[in-house]
Amino acid sequence: MSTSKSIQMILARQLASSIATPILLVDAGGALIYFNEPAEAIFNQRFDETGEMSSGEWTALIAAVDDERNPLPPENRPMMRVLIERHPVSQTMWTRSSDGEWRHLHITAFPLIGEKNVLFGAMSIFWEI
Amino acid sequence: MKVTLWGTRGSLAAPGPETARYGGNTSCVGVRGREGSVLVLDAGTGIRRLGASLDASLRRIDILLTHMHMDHIQGLGFFSPLYHPDLDVHIWGPASTNLSLRERLMRYLSPPLFPVSLRELPCAITLHEVPCGEVDIGEFRVSTALVCHPGPTVGYRIAEARGSVLTYLPDHEPALGALTFPSLPRAWTSGGSLAAEADLLIHDSQYNSHEYLGHVGWGHSSLKQTLDFATLSEVKQLVPFHHDPGHTDADLDLLMEEAIAYANPAYRVCPGVEGATFEI
Repeated sequence: MSTSKSIQMILARQLASSIATPILLVDAGGALIYFNEPAEAIFNQRFDETGEMSSGEWTALIAAVDDERNPLPPENRPMMRVLIERHPVSQTMWTRSSDGEWRHLHITAFPLIGEKNVLFGAMSIFWEI
Repeated sequence: MKVTLWGTRGSLAAPGPETARYGGNTSCVGVRGREGSVLVLDAGTGIRRLGASLDASLRRIDILLTHMHMDHIQGLGFFSPLYHPDLDVHIWGPASTNLSLRERLMRYLSPPLFPVSLRELPCAITLHEVPCGEVDIGEFRVSTALVCHPGPTVGYRIAEARGSVLTYLPDHEPALGALTFPSLPRAWTSGGSLAAEADLLIHDSQYNSHEYLGHVGWGHSSLKQTLDFATLSEVKQLVPFHHDPGHTDADLDLLMEEAIAYANPAYRVCPGVEGATFEI
């Protein structure tokens, strides 16, 4: 069973679960703790099947390249940049999951910071271009 | 520990013959440990009578505020121990992102809302901002966490060394936004870790199921949701609390009877009645 979540993450998940746009949630360590139903197409898997995944696990599921088709290492992808830089990030990239299909995405990610400047994690919204 | 309900009403004090049995005072619960430590959970209007019941030899008292809505702090200025110069009063409560706990309390405890300012009170006051993880208060280990309710609001889990656990979630809407409730595991439910396997859970049950539909997002639960939350939390005993000021004793009797019969819970349910005491 997963560890107890902060109210900030609980409310973020509730919001994501009621939004028709693909949304990912990661904790402060980069582990993927939730993705909503519209995001299942990006992973080609359902969250109910994958459950939570470490940062290494979930970034390995998705190949990512920039607009010049240069591979993007995990630390240069929006979610990890947000956690490192602690400010919002917006960038376009191409991704491919196990279905083999490349998707051109605009991703906006932002940190979830609570009282006393505690970083709880980050949320990202995917927009297919 | 001995737990006494001094105020069980939510939102607004509701005195009158039609509410005399469940009580009209707003949220306040007294907790006394076996070694004499005294905690006061919230400072609704019920705190006035609690203050009058305290032993004059008491030297420290801890007031644990869940949030700053009026029904949870209105009695503070009428809590007689605040006017005893030889008493240490520790007040625990949430700050906001912009205001400290002191600044938030001062908004009430200062003119024009109240004639006496916080800094003029004769007792020795120490303020503690929550949530602050786990902390020892007297013989109790107290855990705090933010929970789902408008504005910064915490719940408290109070554990004795011998293992008894009281969880206090008087204003709580864990079902907010869920298509069905409960549908997620405890870790993903507001208040879930605070209430897990508690010996006694005191929990918001402001509405009936029909009323809740008209108050989604107001930060409160229906009695049915409370029963479901208690089941998810695997508590041993539940006290439905924070009754709507519009609910009469007869309304509450019927509401409790129907909801409990429908849910058939595996734990004991004792409706929150002013003056009731529990030994856990």
